[in-house]
Amino acid sequence: MSIGTRLLTMLNGEFVGEDAHGNKYYQERTKRLSNPLYRRKRWVMYKGKAEGSKVPAEWHAWLHYTNDTPLNARSKAWEQPHKPNLTGTLGAYVPKGDDRAGGTRAASTGDYQAWRP
Amino acid sequence: MPKLTIDGIEVEVPAGTTVLQAAEILGIEIPRFCYHERLSIAGNCRMCLVEVKPGPPKPAASCAMPVAEGMDVRTDSEMARKARKGVMEFLLINHPLDCPICDQGGECDLQDEAMTFGNDHSRYGEMKRSVTEKEMGPLVKTAMTRCIHCTRCVRFTTEVAGVPEMGMLGRGEHAEITTYLEQALDSELSGNVVDLCPVGALTSRPYAFTARPWELRKTESIDVLDALGTNVRIDVRSGQVLRILPRLNEAVNEEWLADKSRHAMDGLRQQRLDTPYVRKDGQLVPASWEEAFAAIRAKVAGLDGSRIAAIAGDQADCEAMTALKDLMGVLGSTNLDCRQDGAKLDPTVRAGYLFNSTVEGIESADALLLVGSDPRWEAPVLNARIRKRYLAGGFKAGRIGPAGRDLTYPVEELGVDPSVLIEIAEGRHPFAEVLKAAKTPMIILGMGALTRTDGAAILAAARKVADTTGMVTEGWNGFSVLHTAAARVGGLDLGFVPGSGGLDTRGIQAGCASGAVEVLYLLGADEIDTNALGKAFVIYQGSHGDAGAHRADVILPGLAYTEKEATYVNTEGRPQRTKVAGFGPGEAKEDWKIIRALSGALDKTLPLDSVHQVRARMAEINPVLGTMNAVTPAAWEAFGTEGPVDTAAFTTAIANYYMTCPISRASPTMAECTRVFINGNQERTGTDG
Repeated sequence: MSIGTRLLTMLNGEFVGEDAHGNKYYQERTKRLSNPLYRRKRWVMYKGKAEGSKVPAEWHAWLHYTNDTPLNARSKAWEQPHKPNLTGTLGAYVPKGDDRAGGTRAASTGDYQAWRP
Repeated sequence: MPKLTIDGIEVEVPAGTTVLQAAEILGIEIPRFCYHERLSIAGNCRMCLVEVKPGPPKPAASCAMPVAEGMDVRTDSEMARKARKGVMEFLLINHPLDCPICDQGGECDLQDEAMTFGNDHSRYGEMKRSVTEKEMGPLVKTAMTRCIHCTRCVRFTTEVAGVPEMGMLGRGEHAEITTYLEQALDSELSGNVVDLCPVGALTSRPYAFTARPWELRKTESIDVLDALGTNVRIDVRSGQVLRILPRLNEAVNEEWLADKSRHAMDGLRQQRLDTPYVRKDGQLVPASWEEAFAAIRAKVAGLDGSRIAAIAGDQADCEAMTALKDLMGVLGSTNLDCRQDGAKLDPTVRAGYLFNSTVEGIESADALLLVGSDPRWEAPVLNARIRKRYLAGGFKAGRIGPAGRDLTYPVEELGVDPSVLIEIAEGRHPFAEVLKAAKTPMIILGMGALTRTDGAAILAAARKVADTTGMVTEGWNGFSVLHTAAARVGGLDLGFVPGSGGLDTRGIQAGCASGAVEVLYLLGADEIDTNALGKAFVIYQGSHGDAGAHRADVILPGLAYTEKEATYVNTEGRPQRTKVAGFGPGEAKEDWKIIRALSGALDKTLPLDSVHQVRARMAEINPVLGTMNAVTPAAWEAFGTEGPVDTAAFTTAIANYYMTCPISRASPTMAECTRVFINGNQERTGTDG
């Protein structure tokens, strides 16, 4: 997070809420322009490293002006907890045939079944 | 010789030729579905319509029209094209539009012709006809809605395969091709109907939904699952053999292929030996090549040559046998044999173990005596050649051996035991007169007669039959031995037989049991009784984990016939070479290279560093092996040992056609065929049954 964002948060930031991961969401306290089309700026202060995929869906909707308030998180039983992009981490996705995922894959051409005594 | 004009080109062809054949001579291809060179003419697809003048002002089917003097044929005139377009439109009325899910897609005659003669849209708004699937066994899959009623399959099964089990029922729109009894096609040539079908009505069941023809890499090779040496094309994708198709060779297989050779290839990815093994404390454990060679060296070093023996199996190639024979030579051993079934063939006289009449020569024979042979199982394509000869007329066949097996042509049952053969040899049997009266008589001597203990006497008796009935004349030799193994003639040509004082297969086995033979080298030999090898140290080199591998103390993984370039000599003495279609599994190496490397590890390095040196050595042992794809006639000399014959009846050499070698025993398709055809578990899964 840049110093500019911190300054803006300090000077003109209105705390709106915090998601399950500890990211904090702010919007402008006052409208900077009187233009009726001007919307109050919304932003997020990440907990830890700034990483866009950390924003869960309910806050994503608010952040992008889809909703006026954050959506109700986990309102449906089938909703999974939000996970940020895991690429490059140990939790990254590996295909089924990969050794890290057990190494069992569907049969393909070129396979053979070896004799074992 | 009538003279006619086709597309403005004048041509003179023999009388009786059809217009379509005459055009073929000129290189003009007339589209066709039902016409096939090797089947009778049906003339029912109407695709080959041409304009013929003089004659009625309508197109004529060129496949069924004999040529006449002064004919003027137009194969590409407006009338012919319009007629074919009409035919195509009618064919497509009831042909489903399922090319994207059809196995024939990409190699479909109808698809190809529709590109030329098909309309861009259909004028037919009604429902298409649908036909129930027919049960044709584990090899042929049906989608009869796609059938265009060319009746090629019906004519093939009736004429070539000789099993009239297929036919067309109903007429008009209700015509259906079916197996009359809704059961598996009981023929060893049933796979060929798939090749013949111009559309996707009959497709290969094991190959179903596996690959598209443009994905496959095609390699022209030789089949080794029987002794005929059928010419095949091996289709491979990503190193895996997906299917095997016949290749044209008029002298050997015409264009047919037997079911085992075609479908046993899925055994090539089962039970493979992919790493050397060494037996430690009674357990076979994976080892490196060095460890395997060290184990052999520890056993062989300092051992007297007479205590070492080698047996070559049914699919051993000539290169490997050359190397192994030389290795045995430098080790001082004369105990080697390529006849693992114990056949009493005389290796010194080439005419004594060849199919001297040649396969093509069957067509000029006019009397046949089968002795202890069942060609329908031992070489189905060769049997089709005999049937072709029978259909031509003026042919008489007699059989000495197990009666009752239908060979697809009538045979006179002469008896079941060798005494009949002696009677014919001495001229006391009526069939001797048949053979004497014939101009070109032949005798087919099978392994069922030669693997007996009195095999040598039977061989001599058969030779006597050949001599007394005039089977060997100038330009004709009717004495024919039908082998069951692709490696046999090659092994005999190379002299892979006991040297002076050496033991043959039976002697080696007895020696192993008694301890006289301490080291036994099995080159893909699985058909011997591996449990009766006593305490012998067994080295098994081969491609599959079969009987030999289970008994082995050291296993050296070799390659199967689709993975190496190797020479095989077929039963008529025709050396042919396989090509590399795909690579072998894991650590497996080419067989002669393994033996060459082993010779180095034993400090008896053979001077065989390249395949050229091996082939030069082969030709040095027997010059015949230097001439590829040609039959060298063998000189007629004395062979066989006359002696008393047993009165026991002949048995068949093959107990189960679908399982005769490590590859076919490992094949799931062949297991299914055994279940259906041998054990008779016919499933009535047809929709009507």
